[in-house]
Amino acid sequence: MSEPPADPPAGVPADSDAAGDDGVAIRVARSGGIAGMTRRWSVQPSGSEREHWMLLVERCPWDEKPPAGTGADRFLWRIEVRVRQERHEQVIPEEHLQGPWRALVDAVREADAGAGGA
Amino acid sequence: MSNHESRPAAQAHVHQGIIPSYMLAKLAESERYSHAAEAARQTLIAPAPAQRRAQLQLSIDENGALVATVEAAPNRTISDAHGTETLPGTVVRTEDEPTVADGAVNQAFDGLGATFQMLLDAFQRNSVDGQGLPLDATVHYGSGYDNAFWNGERMVFGDGDGQVFQGFTGATSVIGHELGHGVVQYTAALEYQGQPGALNESIADVFGALTEQHLQGQTADQATWLIGAGIFTPAVHGKALRSMLHPGTAYDDPELGKDPQPADMSGYVKTTDDNGGVHVNSGIPNRAFALFAVELGGHAWETAGSVWYRALTGGLPASATFAQFAKATIAEADKVSTATGDAARMAWASVGVIKAGVGSATGSATGDERTSG
Repeated sequence: MSEPPADPPAGVPADSDAAGDDGVAIRVARSGGIAGMTRRWSVQPSGSEREHWMLLVERCPWDEKPPAGTGADRFLWRIEVRVRQERHEQVIPEEHLQGPWRALVDAVREADAGAGGA
Repeated sequence: MSNHESRPAAQAHVHQGIIPSYMLAKLAESERYSHAAEAARQTLIAPAPAQRRAQLQLSIDENGALVATVEAAPNRTISDAHGTETLPGTVVRTEDEPTVADGAVNQAFDGLGATFQMLLDAFQRNSVDGQGLPLDATVHYGSGYDNAFWNGERMVFGDGDGQVFQGFTGATSVIGHELGHGVVQYTAALEYQGQPGALNESIADVFGALTEQHLQGQTADQATWLIGAGIFTPAVHGKALRSMLHPGTAYDDPELGKDPQPADMSGYVKTTDDNGGVHVNSGIPNRAFALFAVELGGHAWETAGSVWYRALTGGLPASATFAQFAKATIAEADKVSTATGDAARMAWASVGVIKAGVGSATGSATGDERTSG
């Protein structure tokens, strides 16, 4: 039997301590699409970088539930942020990944351009 | 000479082809070919192209008589997003225009046509909605965009990143799959989550495979049963996105991992990814269909495809589970013949959706789920 895809894709998994108790970890995962493959990107900023990343994180409306997706074979984005012991998570259909969400995701992907995979 | 409102089925002696409008106009005035002239006039006065179109087909029958047949025709419009994520983009080819220099545009155009013709020949369905809905597609969507999707109104194709994926217009099965989602939307409207979502995906794969097989004239045993063959770059260790007959074997790549599709209910994946693993668990009903079609033999779009299509369009609830769909397909198969019904039961039993030797679905799908992560 084949291996199932990891789930949750962008959660703070077993290595959640990697950022340290006072650290910041931002993970994004893109699942779905016609291929049904999940790809992941992450960043663990440190020192002077944190302020820039926290600004991107705080601009996102974490408490607002995104609209449901439409159609089929669209990507589904899961965005997860851990700041010290605090966790935020949001799942956003591709067509609603706009504004600060898109800025955050694009920044993580750009910072972690070499990663990804199924 | 005969004149029919619709074409009953593909006939070997019928010359396939869309008659250009100037020829229709000429034929419409013909006194010698009065029936053909009437058919041409019907074609010309058919509802506006924005709604539905018709085509006139001419052939010579065994007695040497000219046979004119009017049947539904596609109304395709291909747009180009020029690497942006803005839809629909600019129109680059419409129904009556010839091929263009851009191969992706022509591939999309031809794939839409192949899907339209399969739906018409196999199920007498006039386009995605059954009412001649225009078929719209956009190519070159996004930058290095690794996907093709149905947005509820049109098909959208990315060019791929060039490392893992090539352009998504390169596989007829992908184009048929996307339009298949349109058919599902206009029929059972299966929820895009969990089991009904995986059924939605599976039925789209069935339409995709049938479109490719119909285009190539393949029988079930000749078909590859692959979805998305040619989508990967040569660098990837894989032959396609999915294998309907052998789920879990389509690719095995150091970077991408192994095809995660289960072949039966013992491998059902419970996940929050991908709307509940709709592209993973679709392997189960996919294999049921492929086994059913191979067991029946011949062209899969005929008996096997019709059974699946009637189950889809016969009142299937939007929340249908695998077990409910199995029951619906078995009921339709039993209407064809006892042997057909037995083949359907055997197929669903093989993938663990119903118990072997039992006529009804187990309904135990959730009990067999495997939890990932």
